[in-house]
Amino acid sequence: MRFREYIRDRLWFYIITAVAAGLLYLFLTAYRVSVQLMLITGAILLLFVCAEELIGFIRKKAFYDELREKLGSLDKKYLIHEMLKRPDFYEGQLMYDALYEANKSMCENVAVYKRSSDDFREFIEMWVHEVKLPVASLQLMAHNSGGETGEKFLEQLRRIDGYTDQVLYYARSENAEKDYIIKETSLRRMVANVALKDREALQLAGVSVETEGLDISVMTDGKWLEFILGQFMSNSLKYIASGREPVIKVSAEELDDRVLLHFRDNGIGIPVSDLPRVFEKSFTGENGRTRAKSTGMGLYIVKSLCDRLGHSIKAESVKGEYTEFTIGFAKNEYYRMENS
Amino acid sequence: MSKIYIVEDDRSIREELAELLRSSGYEAEYLTDFSDSADKILSAGADLILMDINIPNLNGEQLLREIRKKTDTPVIMVTSRTSETDEVLSMSYGADDYITKPYNPTILLLRISAVMKRAAGSSQTRTYNGLQVNDAKGSLTDGSRELSLTKNEMIIFRFMLDRQGSIVTRDELMTALWDNDEFVNDNALTVNISRLRSKLAELGCEDAIETRKKQGYILK
Repeated sequence: MRFREYIRDRLWFYIITAVAAGLLYLFLTAYRVSVQLMLITGAILLLFVCAEELIGFIRKKAFYDELREKLGSLDKKYLIHEMLKRPDFYEGQLMYDALYEANKSMCENVAVYKRSSDDFREFIEMWVHEVKLPVASLQLMAHNSGGETGEKFLEQLRRIDGYTDQVLYYARSENAEKDYIIKETSLRRMVANVALKDREALQLAGVSVETEGLDISVMTDGKWLEFILGQFMSNSLKYIASGREPVIKVSAEELDDRVLLHFRDNGIGIPVSDLPRVFEKSFTGENGRTRAKSTGMGLYIVKSLCDRLGHSIKAESVKGEYTEFTIGFAKNEYYRMENS
Repeated sequence: MSKIYIVEDDRSIREELAELLRSSGYEAEYLTDFSDSADKILSAGADLILMDINIPNLNGEQLLREIRKKTDTPVIMVTSRTSETDEVLSMSYGADDYITKPYNPTILLLRISAVMKRAAGSSQTRTYNGLQVNDAKGSLTDGSRELSLTKNEMIIFRFMLDRQGSIVTRDELMTALWDNDEFVNDNALTVNISRLRSKLAELGCEDAIETRKKQGYILK
């Protein structure tokens, strides 16, 4: 709080005081009071006005300075009220009480939204588990009935399952609570599970799957990693380049401090201008618009899952040649000891 | 015939599951009334139990613990809960495997037979028509001659041997190969089977593998 600004703000007080003083002196002059006496009253008056202004300024300065300083350093500004002491002057108290009310209502509001978003997430999670039952049932029926129609049904059911998983993992990736378990997981097993899940589609498209150096275990959540690899797999299947045999190569390499898992295909690739944005929410890019339908959510979910798990993720591509995703798993001896 | 007991509260799933198991040469029974589940399951005397986590009255994990107190019968948890936490918990309570719904039926059958084999103890050497199967070396021998099989041929032969006398589909063989991360294609499977055939012929088993058009193969 600056003194000059404060004084300027008090302009009306000075005008009224000046008018009052002017009237006072008019009367004093009319009653022929001696100049000496007039000077003394003037001095006393001035002294009182100065003292009043100074004390008023100092009382308020402490409160407002603190308010401004705290507001500047606070990350969640709506919590400012929690940081202040109730001042001892009336205006400040009004202000403080107003802040308190506003803050309370804000917190209630936030709580309402948080609860409704938690409820929604819980419902989604429950719903996904429920919807998997009829899907499982249909899958068995399709298999039991056999034949070509059964195969066709199975293929569509796998699509439904893929989409429901996307919803499930989206809800999980947005959730602040920790609902994953980091434990030692075999990359070979993960890759086999994912390939097995998409085996029919891979064979139908004539994709050959090659692996290299997968006899490494990493610290991750197996289910989440399977979903991540599944997303890569379905992208590779979507964006196969014509004119050459499609190949997906999954390889791992062990560095001093981490393990890198490469997932590479020889599909149509990603244009340079789109590459930095592939992990953005709802980003579809040229491939998504011109080729297969794309929601722009798959890789976004992948990125947020990786962030949650503490894995690094990188996309590289040359348009018309290849796309390669690399996940980096930290090696942590502490984890290993704890789990052994 | 091995008996499999199904604990699943979704009627449609348990009926289809039973049909799948029966058509694959197992005897299948299921629970319809979920009061005193543990006792009913135990008295059924099954060789393997397929169990859902979400079942009425009792949580599947608790039920699993109760069963484990009394018997070592292999248990496979089959559930729509897809979190690693559930899997880790189930395994620590003594489940032998954990499969999430919806599952590929062929993979489910593969897991069932793997768990059964593990439970039976795979140490005994298997024989086929007087040929000894050496799993560790990956070879077949008739005492005097020894022929080594490639990894793929061995996977195919073992799978057919388990199901000797009944039809094995190409889809099942493919699933078994991919499950062992041999990501072969259709042509490679055909080539592998014909190589296996000629190797068996060399050891004196002519026409051991018969082709059934549009169905699959039979190891006689």
